[in-house]
Amino acid sequence: MSLPQFTFLAPTSLSEACALLEKHQGTIKIKAGGTDMIVRLSHRAVKPDYLMSIKKIPGLDTISYAPDTGLTIGALALLRAVETSPLILENAPMLARAAHATATVQIRNMGTVLGNVCNASPSADNIPTLVAMHAAIVASNGTTEREIPIDEFFLGPGRTSLQANEIAIAIKVPPLAPKSGVSYQKISPRSKVDIAAVNIGALLTLDENEQCQAVRISMGAVGPTPLRAKQAETYLTDRKISDETLAAAGRLAAEDASPISDVRASREYRKLMVEVLTTRALKEAYGFAKN
Amino acid sequence: MSTDHNFSVVGKSLPRSDGRIKAVGAAQYADDIFLPGMLFGKLLRSPVAHARIKSIDTSAAEALPGVKCVITGQDIPKVKYGNWRLVPESQDEYALAIDKVRFIGDEVAAVAALDKDSAEEAIRLIKVEYEELPGAYSVEESLADNAPVIHDEYHQDIPNISLDRKIEYGDLDKAFAEADLVLDDVFTVHATSHAYMEPCSCVAEYDHDGRLTIWTSTQAPYFVQCLLASTLEMRENDIRVIKPFVGGGFGGKMEMRPWEFCAAFIARKLGRPVKFTLTREEELATGRRRHPMRIHSKVGFSKEGMLLAKEFNVHLDGGAYNSMGPTACFLCGNFGAMLYNYPNYRYYGAHVYTNKPPAGAMRGFGAPQALFVAETQMNVAAEKLGIDPVDIRLMNAMETGDEIPGVATISSCGFKESLIKVAEMTNWREKRKNLKPGQGLGLGCYSFISGGVFNWFNTRYNFTSAEVRAFDDGTVHLMTMASDIGQGCDTVLRQILAEELGLKVSDIRLTAADTAVTPQADLGTWGSRVTLMAGNAVRKAAQEIKEELFRMVSLKFDLNVIHDLRCGDGKIYPANRPDRAVPFGEAVRMAQRAKRGEPVIGYGSYTPRNKGLVTPAFSFGAQVAECEVDKETGAVEVKFMTTAHDCGTPINPMSVEGQLEGSVHMGLGYALSEQFIMKEGKTLTTTFLDYKIPCAEDMPPGISVHVDTYEPDGPFGAKEAGEGLVSPTAPAIADAVYAATGYRCMDLPLTPQKVLAGMNKI
Repeated sequence: MSLPQFTFLAPTSLSEACALLEKHQGTIKIKAGGTDMIVRLSHRAVKPDYLMSIKKIPGLDTISYAPDTGLTIGALALLRAVETSPLILENAPMLARAAHATATVQIRNMGTVLGNVCNASPSADNIPTLVAMHAAIVASNGTTEREIPIDEFFLGPGRTSLQANEIAIAIKVPPLAPKSGVSYQKISPRSKVDIAAVNIGALLTLDENEQCQAVRISMGAVGPTPLRAKQAETYLTDRKISDETLAAAGRLAAEDASPISDVRASREYRKLMVEVLTTRALKEAYGFAKN
Repeated sequence: MSTDHNFSVVGKSLPRSDGRIKAVGAAQYADDIFLPGMLFGKLLRSPVAHARIKSIDTSAAEALPGVKCVITGQDIPKVKYGNWRLVPESQDEYALAIDKVRFIGDEVAAVAALDKDSAEEAIRLIKVEYEELPGAYSVEESLADNAPVIHDEYHQDIPNISLDRKIEYGDLDKAFAEADLVLDDVFTVHATSHAYMEPCSCVAEYDHDGRLTIWTSTQAPYFVQCLLASTLEMRENDIRVIKPFVGGGFGGKMEMRPWEFCAAFIARKLGRPVKFTLTREEELATGRRRHPMRIHSKVGFSKEGMLLAKEFNVHLDGGAYNSMGPTACFLCGNFGAMLYNYPNYRYYGAHVYTNKPPAGAMRGFGAPQALFVAETQMNVAAEKLGIDPVDIRLMNAMETGDEIPGVATISSCGFKESLIKVAEMTNWREKRKNLKPGQGLGLGCYSFISGGVFNWFNTRYNFTSAEVRAFDDGTVHLMTMASDIGQGCDTVLRQILAEELGLKVSDIRLTAADTAVTPQADLGTWGSRVTLMAGNAVRKAAQEIKEELFRMVSLKFDLNVIHDLRCGDGKIYPANRPDRAVPFGEAVRMAQRAKRGEPVIGYGSYTPRNKGLVTPAFSFGAQVAECEVDKETGAVEVKFMTTAHDCGTPINPMSVEGQLEGSVHMGLGYALSEQFIMKEGKTLTTTFLDYKIPCAEDMPPGISVHVDTYEPDGPFGAKEAGEGLVSPTAPAIADAVYAATGYRCMDLPLTPQKVLAGMNKI
């Protein structure tokens, strides 16, 4: 399918980009890798007058780590870069797993992690782990920056809390507390290369007695935005980890999920998979936290 | 491969003759063709499943700048078409809907414009007023009392059954009464997409001489030529169909289709070339597909495991038009009783219209459905009778010389050897007893045809033919209408010709699949017919050349009449005196001189005669799937596939291997993940995001071996390879899932959700 007509903009600085956003409010779309946006354009799912690429803005593709502030992943860091980055593999290997689980290597060589986040698809591979890990999105309006906690970022499918003149320039992931473990779990009808029918990210932190000190569970593709499994989190906090408590947490997570039936899976199957994958995610995270 | 036959070119894994041009990206497919002044076409498709067309207003589309032509059903000759010309009333399609639309996607109008964007825009400007009618979206709904009648002009006893077929032999009632075990099951199997890499595309040009040329992505140039002639009301010979490189077909490109008609019609009307190329979304939302079926199968066994009787009732969910459904309906009855000796058999098959995109021919053509049922019931019977699934099959398996009543005598059969081989290779008996939780091992088998005998297209020509021109520089030119659509017949036919004439493949120039220059006719690439049929024709043409050259060489050597002559190594020589060889080119020169300049040309053709009504030769094979099932998620992972098969002589083993891997891929998708999810006639899975074809990473490792047989009716012993093998994969995987979970699937595909439901976990 052909692309509709639009004016292509390629600013070379953040301030220029934000000024363009301000100027063309409501009629402009941003693209980074373009792996989602170009498809949406060709399907006429969006019809902007202006398409602005941020690829020419220098310095947005960095991946860095500092022990006190944690990871910073720039807006233009490719999925493939995150998947293979030694910094990420060492400090947040589940982010690499989630990036690896996204689409095919060809798409990962073009698409970005932050693009996947900003696209705000309920089934996005990279979101649940980032939610579990307390990530924050750094937004810039060209002059000032602010950090948006990821829990406040998603408003609905394709909708985020970015202001009309703001660009997401990076995502920050704080360092893990001691004795913490993370897991990303996903299921889809086609085994390996596929969009998630359900995905789960979990972060589990243990106290000195190996009890659960804190836990965050994020569920994808079971609601209009990534959902937190609040009941399961509350239940598990300060509780001893066992097969029974993890299974119970899985059941509670399923209660918190509000999936729909669609061509990818039925509501009932999704609910059951939330239970299975949550338990698996917690079990894996627990394994990492213990060691 | 056969060791008894001392071949020099046949049986060798030579690289594809089209390998280099495709690898460097230089191969021209239909959509790569750009002609001066060419227009771009686009089809308007019905958004409703069943409706009368009340009016069409094309004025806004025509007024759009860049639009050169808009046509509707009112503009075209009122001539219906369809591949079953033998039964004219089965021809039920107009290229553009005239009275009614019968499925979402039915072609209603066509536009040609200076560019694609204008054509797309114009399509959106056409206003069609529909009077919607109730629809029928399943066999059950179509056969219900007061069901909407989908084709009003049909006056059968049951309105939505377009045709049916019966087969019966033996005494079923007696046999069932004597059976110790009777299985009586209803299965449902689903539709899947061909998902060929190249969406359909064509370019048509009308010349100043009043003749039409069309380059089209087709498996059957001859069918397109004939049906364009009838629908355009032109003479066949005024239409030239050229098949450029084609990116796969799998049965989905063996009919004339509306875009071919519209391109030709508009090109003729405007005198400008016109191109139509479908999008993937059009292909998935509206394209041909494998027949969904409801199959009621009753089968009786003795307690020793002998098959006594089978009653096979099949309802094909055909969609809105016949397409190739009649053939699927016909063949399904044969596939129901081909693999084993069924002494008593009754088949009833009915092709049912529904308001859905029509199902058509697709790799296996009734066999994957029939064999999913037959093989599953074999596995069930084996378990119930306490017999190993391999043994119960060996007991009933067809063998060389066996007769299928009313069909044919099997002239070569390596089925038992295939069974024994897969059992050995997988350590079947031991491994089945030592499965870990979640592991499963399953068996499925198949037989298939090597081309069809029944002349449903009603051709007046031989089924295939070949012309070979020999030159005194030692080269030859092979001309055949056989169509390489990626399966490799351009290479295989060259190998057959090179073998027969003792030449190298590089000595052969090939012109193929051009109806104006290659000899009439070839029925196309389908039903696994090309290697056997076109191969035989090529061999016969080569033998004519040989006979002529042998006469010359015999004369030169003053040979006694009993001397044998051979072709080999680019030379012709007496069998016992290879030192006295004459180069092939020199022999041609001698022959040409003896005829005072007449060229040396051989002609060969092949039409199966005295081969019953189905096929000249049968292939066989067996496959074992090793699976692991995640009992919490229902996900099935195929860990390994083991295949033993009998394709006669593999002309090119590397090509056969590619076919087998492709078959596993297609069988895997059929078994596990591919399906059209539909709602009231609307296909919801219209991209590869949601139409779950397995990806490269989903392919299991596997091994396959050829069982050594020689088919007397095939060229150098060859027969079908790579189509039949799409059948055993689903029953083998389903059987492995049963072994792992206790869930016996009778309703494909085996989605994770269904597996969990089968285990009563959801």
